[in-house]
Amino acid sequence: MMKTFFKTIGNVFKKPVTTKYPFEKTFIPEDYRGLIGFDENLCIWCRRCEMVCPPGAIVFSQDMEGKQTYHFNRAVCIYCGECVRACPKEGAIFQTAEPAPCALKTENINNGWNKLYAEALQSREAYAAEKKKKAAEKAAADKLAAAKKEEENKSATDNQTGAV
Amino acid sequence: MAKQYEIPIGAQHISLLEPLHFKFTTENEKIVKTDANVYYVHRGIEQACCSKFKFRQVSFVVGRVCGLCSISHTTAYSQVAEKLVKIEVPKRAKYLRMLVIELDRIHSHLLCLSHVAENSGFEALFMKTMQYREFSMELLEAVCGNRIQYDFSIVGGVARDLKPQVAQSIIERLKKFVPQLDELMDIYKNNWTLSLKNKGAGAITKEDAMRLNVVGPFARAAGLAVDVRNETEDLLPWKEVGYEMITETSGDVYARNIVRLRELYVSIRIIENIINGLPETPLITETKAFPDGEATVRLEAPRGELFYYAKGNKTQVLERLKIKAPTFSNVAAMAEAFTGNEYGSVPAIIASYDPCLSCTAR
Amino acid sequence: MKKIETTLTSLKSDIAAFYKQELHHFMVMNAVEVADKIEVQWFFSDYAYLCETTCFFTLIDPAEKIPSIKDIVVSAWVAEAELVDLMNINIENTAKGFVLEPDFESGPLRKKK
Repeated sequence: MMKTFFKTIGNVFKKPVTTKYPFEKTFIPEDYRGLIGFDENLCIWCRRCEMVCPPGAIVFSQDMEGKQTYHFNRAVCIYCGECVRACPKEGAIFQTAEPAPCALKTENINNGWNKLYAEALQSREAYAAEKKKKAAEKAAADKLAAAKKEEENKSATDNQTGAV
Repeated sequence: MAKQYEIPIGAQHISLLEPLHFKFTTENEKIVKTDANVYYVHRGIEQACCSKFKFRQVSFVVGRVCGLCSISHTTAYSQVAEKLVKIEVPKRAKYLRMLVIELDRIHSHLLCLSHVAENSGFEALFMKTMQYREFSMELLEAVCGNRIQYDFSIVGGVARDLKPQVAQSIIERLKKFVPQLDELMDIYKNNWTLSLKNKGAGAITKEDAMRLNVVGPFARAAGLAVDVRNETEDLLPWKEVGYEMITETSGDVYARNIVRLRELYVSIRIIENIINGLPETPLITETKAFPDGEATVRLEAPRGELFYYAKGNKTQVLERLKIKAPTFSNVAAMAEAFTGNEYGSVPAIIASYDPCLSCTAR
Repeated sequence: MKKIETTLTSLKSDIAAFYKQELHHFMVMNAVEVADKIEVQWFFSDYAYLCETTCFFTLIDPAEKIPSIKDIVVSAWVAEAELVDLMNINIENTAKGFVLEPDFESGPLRKKK
């Protein structure tokens, strides 16, 4: 009984266990799994990070010249680091120790991202279709050129034989 | 016969952590019959794993089945997927998996104990247990990079290595924790107020535990020696790192508390052994194979036996994934163990089952 | 994993002959779609060191009625009730509505044809 009493009195003068969070720093380890960083200059645009990402937080869009742009949603990302492990070029995509900031309403992070994701896939399809079309055109042009050349050759040989 | 009343508890109740519904038929204060309803959080994770995600991504999805035993789910899935693609995991990865599972067991058991104390009406002990639990969360954050979702096991091995300074800090913090654990053991064992609510409440006999196929600390408190760590050796070498079976005999809330506390001593010893004998091998075995055939895996999660069944069809997406969570096995016994107890001790009994409903319903 | 094939008629006698309360431990029931049939599985494991998982399985048509093993393994009712709702199969003495709401689309784990 007396022991408990003295312990209770003693507790009044002890420091609290909890930390006053916004004014004091809480424990964050050095290699905390934080935001995913991206270096455009190192990227080789293989899109492997997009393929392995479990929640689909990374997507690449493509314009008509074939230039790709990287998009990342910090609210969808689960910070597992799978993209970093999959990346064949070291340093192109990396994980920082910085915790992600909160999402704001003005960012429209859910619907905006869904729209962006669909548009990115569409843009890539459009580029692929364009490329295919161009390739087909080029193939047709090549074929035409080849046929023309052959004809020319033929006529040339005809001329030669005619000359002989 | 006395007049019977039906009293429900849940699905929303102040003493429940998760949606769970019991309907008690009582005579005066004594419970004579219980109906259980545990499915309020069905999320369709099994279906998502077999349709939307590739098999390498599934190990991150199943981690979200449960917050507390996240690492048990990811490890069990990784093991079953490794069986399907037929690879052997390096030894260091196995040891690191065991390390995180045991750290996770410390934090899960202390959470359960604190809730038993709170639901028995001992708020100060709840605070104290939660205070002592904080170190395990910080250690897990230092090892895995996150407090709750560890994402540590991946198909083929583990995602991160253990740094020497982190290993050092684990040993130091555990040394500090042992006297704190002794203190908790003393309170849970000898406190008179707590014993009024805990001794003899929610008791289950060994025969009943066997008949109802109970698993985990619930079964071990009744004297039934069932622990997957004792039964398997091929996937994780538990015997090598000093595993020891803990059982009690009375099978009530008090015995469950003591089993959990004594298991913490075993966990501490396992962690120390792992860190001292960590083998130097690579962390991951790479493979390009696709899952084929079927396989099962059992693993001891903090709450008991976790069971995974998977079937592959030589594509990226699995044909079928079945998850059996520990609480799923205990539902039948949970409903029976209330019989003969007073309605007033129900919250403490529910907390002592350590139910994880998001695991059960998936 | 040891797999033992059984039939709907011999299922109960097979499991009754195998299951000893002190030695074995019923884990869970599972069902997998194999072409247009369903493979139903019952998983057991031992209490011993280095034990093996035993699986009883049988192939059924989706409409067939499966006998319940509740009188042999008491705690099997949870697994049976779950499977009835999620896979939309018929099990003796098991009603729908334990896992999902009664008006929910039945059999969400079945493949869409």
